[in-house]
Amino acid sequence: MYYAIRHLTRFRYPEPIRESLMELFMQPRSEGGQRLNAFAVSTQPRAQLFTYEDHLGNTVHHFNVLKDHAELQIEMHASVEMAEIATLPEALSSDAWDLLRPEMLNAEEYDMLHTQGLAVPCEGISAFLSEHAITRDSDPLTTLRALAWAVHDGFAYDTDATDVDTPLEEVLKIKRGVCQDFSHVMIAGARALGIPARYVSGYLYHRNEIDDRPAPDATHSWVEAFMPGLGWIGIDPTNKTLAGHRHIRVGVGRDYADVPPTRGTFKGRHYSELAYAVSVQPAEAPIRPAAMLKVARKMDHAPVSADERGEAFYQQQQQQQQ
Amino acid sequence: MHQEISAAKRTGDTPPAIRPGEGAPFRDYALGAPYDEMFDESGGVRAPYRELYTRLIALPLEELYRRQMACEQSFLHQGITFTVYGDDRATERIIPTDLLPRIITAKEWAHIERGLKQRILALNLFLKDIYHDALIIRDGVVPRDLVYGAPNFRREMRGVSVPRDAYVSVCGSDIIRREDGAFVVLEDNLRVPSGVSYMLANREVVRRAFPSMFQATHVRPIEQYPQELLATLRALAPPHRENPRIVLLTPGSFNSAYYEHTFLARAMGIELVEGRDLLVHDNFVYMRTTSGLSRVDVIYRRIDDDFIDPLIFRSDSILGVPGVFNVYRAGNVVIANALGNGVADDKAVYAYVPRIIKYYLDEDAILPNVETFLCREPRMLSHVIGNLDTLVVKAVGESGGYGMLVGPHATQKERVAFRDRVLAKPKNYIAQPTISLSTAPCFVGTGVEARHVDLRPFILHATETRLVPGALTRVALRRGSLVVNSSQGGGSKDTWVQVI
Repeated sequence: MYYAIRHLTRFRYPEPIRESLMELFMQPRSEGGQRLNAFAVSTQPRAQLFTYEDHLGNTVHHFNVLKDHAELQIEMHASVEMAEIATLPEALSSDAWDLLRPEMLNAEEYDMLHTQGLAVPCEGISAFLSEHAITRDSDPLTTLRALAWAVHDGFAYDTDATDVDTPLEEVLKIKRGVCQDFSHVMIAGARALGIPARYVSGYLYHRNEIDDRPAPDATHSWVEAFMPGLGWIGIDPTNKTLAGHRHIRVGVGRDYADVPPTRGTFKGRHYSELAYAVSVQPAEAPIRPAAMLKVARKMDHAPVSADERGEAFYQQQQQQQQ
Repeated sequence: MHQEISAAKRTGDTPPAIRPGEGAPFRDYALGAPYDEMFDESGGVRAPYRELYTRLIALPLEELYRRQMACEQSFLHQGITFTVYGDDRATERIIPTDLLPRIITAKEWAHIERGLKQRILALNLFLKDIYHDALIIRDGVVPRDLVYGAPNFRREMRGVSVPRDAYVSVCGSDIIRREDGAFVVLEDNLRVPSGVSYMLANREVVRRAFPSMFQATHVRPIEQYPQELLATLRALAPPHRENPRIVLLTPGSFNSAYYEHTFLARAMGIELVEGRDLLVHDNFVYMRTTSGLSRVDVIYRRIDDDFIDPLIFRSDSILGVPGVFNVYRAGNVVIANALGNGVADDKAVYAYVPRIIKYYLDEDAILPNVETFLCREPRMLSHVIGNLDTLVVKAVGESGGYGMLVGPHATQKERVAFRDRVLAKPKNYIAQPTISLSTAPCFVGTGVEARHVDLRPFILHATETRLVPGALTRVALRRGSLVVNSSQGGGSKDTWVQVI
């Protein structure tokens, strides 16, 4: 599958601000079954973009704007090729737990057992696990599935209940939240069970017949857990599904705070309006520059027209904010 | 300036076994179990101190008092102060300086110097390793969870190259002298060590108080420290920058060491800046000046990792420079000390330093550690829990002497409360035996008495490792006290390193 992704973000300030500085975790990763064929990002006001790869392999872009501005817009385009994900076995052997002992893990896996940050095992997590009888009695994969489904069934999807810094204990109490909260609960649960787990931010392609959450055209997040013999496998507790070719991975981290789509600072009054629009469209051909030369004449499958995006932009301002 | 120690045997509690000398000022000089810098076990004056002793018994008390007052006046006039947090009465206090110098022989100094150079070399290699290949963890020398669990381990530093691999370019190590006279390292301060300005200020006033004795003792000079620090910072600058701009970044005038920041900036002839004076633009750091923006090449920072860049670290920091870490990562500015050093002066990692030295240098540690029990290891934990009345237990990753239990001085209730904290999170604690700091003569107004001291030399490292031959000798001013922290009422002494 090929997807064309557009992600437009706009910050507005009640009065002009200055010296804004921003990091973007927006570039889809290019590894495993996912290949990034094209990527471009631009800003308004114009700024020079710099990039680095962080210690988790995420490609981060950053820029700054010195002079006064009351609006800042970031536009990202990407073209991604997704392979079908190989199916998973029903279960692992129950002694696979032995392979999850810390000394069996490499540094990257080990660090995702971590006890710092937003997805930390806590009392509420222990209570949640025992309430749903999720233990290490079954094999790790069966346990992981049970955990993901329990998170899905036990929490209501509610875009008004939480915001980006709602603590995990609070989420566990109100049992509501958005994909980010679902992911954090599942990660903390997995870590409490001794399964390395990490946060994935990205995009979800919505097929028409499926009632996915969040609604179309928003950023999404899910979880990857490390399974002996299988490596990192993606699970989407918000949609009760394994992550497949519709889940386009952008950033991986210990939690949301490691990979927010944007983070920045500026000088001026400290509030702003954030609006964004995302579109993920299937494309039937890769949009690699070389390939584009061949298909340029029969551009039947242009992703989204400018007008549509403009309309979508306003419609979608009410989407989940991150 | 963070250290606190306790002793099983408190000098003040034991009646003086020996009354050293005959001289009037030494009437109340108590010699107990700890090593005394001036007198040997039989009360004889050690060779380096003979000159001082001769002068002291010849001088009337009033004259000593007059000279002590002159020292303090001088400190006050120069504005040499130290801010004490949590003290409502006065934020700034002068650091009490003691009139009498502490003397280190050339031989002792050579040993300390070799030991510290070895230690800094190994710790720099350790930092480079854990932020790159982590071979020392792979080889099982240092436990992985200790490094990854250390509060000051900065994942953001993984894979970042540091100019000349100089992670630690300014270090102030705390050394104490054991009962047997051997020097041991109590703590490495690899982040933002302070106190060097007091070393220099003490020299100024004490040299004036005893001019002819200073001549006669053949003391090595230390005045060149600011220039050596500047040379170190210059050596770290990007090579293609002919005239690199170096600045000192301070948290601001409410910081406890602000005096030192102003002093060093002035002595080096560089700008003293706060975070708001700098800004990042297109992956370079600039200083705001009256004539526009001026590029900055090296930042000597006296601000913690946590606060240095709100974009990457604590987002609520208003002291830092937003975006500076990405400029650093790109190699467009040098920050000294490097970020992430705190993992190597972590109190739990400390216990592994002798093994770290062995691993990288294949040498034994020249300066040993104080024996340290890691509560993370069950056997050591039970030892610690069983001996809380004699041990000093410290929270790992905190500094300043707040999260700690000084067993012998604590009440039963305090010990029980602390035991519960240790048992709840054993990995967060280490313990050390109550070690006795050596004592040195101090003028106390009514005469000369023994007070506990430690030693903080300052090490500089860029392309080579250098020590200025001197140190800050910190003094526990209250009789019997072992608390030398300036934040908790400690004072300091001039430290004379002899030429021969």
